[in-house]
Amino acid sequence: MNNVLPEYREHRDLSQGALAEGVDVTRQTINAIERERYDPSLELAFTLADFFDCAIEDLFTPKR
Amino acid sequence: MTQTETTGRRRFTKRRRYRRVMWGFVFGGVAIGLALRSLGYPFIGEAVYWIGAIGFLAVWRGTSLTLFDERDKALEQRAATTTLALSAPIFVVGASAARILTWTDIYTVPTVVWGALYGYVALFATFGVVVTWLRYRR
Repeated sequence: MNNVLPEYREHRDLSQGALAEGVDVTRQTINAIERERYDPSLELAFTLADFFDCAIEDLFTPKR
Repeated sequence: MTQTETTGRRRFTKRRRYRRVMWGFVFGGVAIGLALRSLGYPFIGEAVYWIGAIGFLAVWRGTSLTLFDERDKALEQRAATTTLALSAPIFVVGASAARILTWTDIYTVPTVVWGALYGYVALFATFGVVVTWLRYRR
């Protein structure tokens, strides 16, 4: 899954740790998502979209 | 540094410390327990081993921090699947070889090997029961 999480996070001036704290996961998980080495669960994807006040498809797009 | 970031970093540091303490209990308990047993203090060694195990559980279940998240669970699932995938061929080939060697009287398979093979049987039987339970529980 492609994502623009780093752009959204940096736009809010947040570190990976702060974002991880905000959505209740570990910093390593945020790092793995940003590096596209881990696809988050639907639940976490919704939580991230809620956190950034956007739609899931604004953050994540499937690899085609 | 923003306040959100400071709070996040503090909780991140705390989480890392809790995880280290948790694993410290396990590895410390096992290592010190083994050392005490080899030094001739088996009961104290066993007590330290249990302190390690209970300490691990106390830290894991006693904190409100998320020590393991969904990625940790996903990694565990992949590791478990890979372990079973590696174990299966060893079991299939090993069990067959042990039976053939026994029937043909070429080699007497040691009891410990049979024990290990029955251990594999128990492992795969447990896996089958758990998969069936998970499939039909709803």
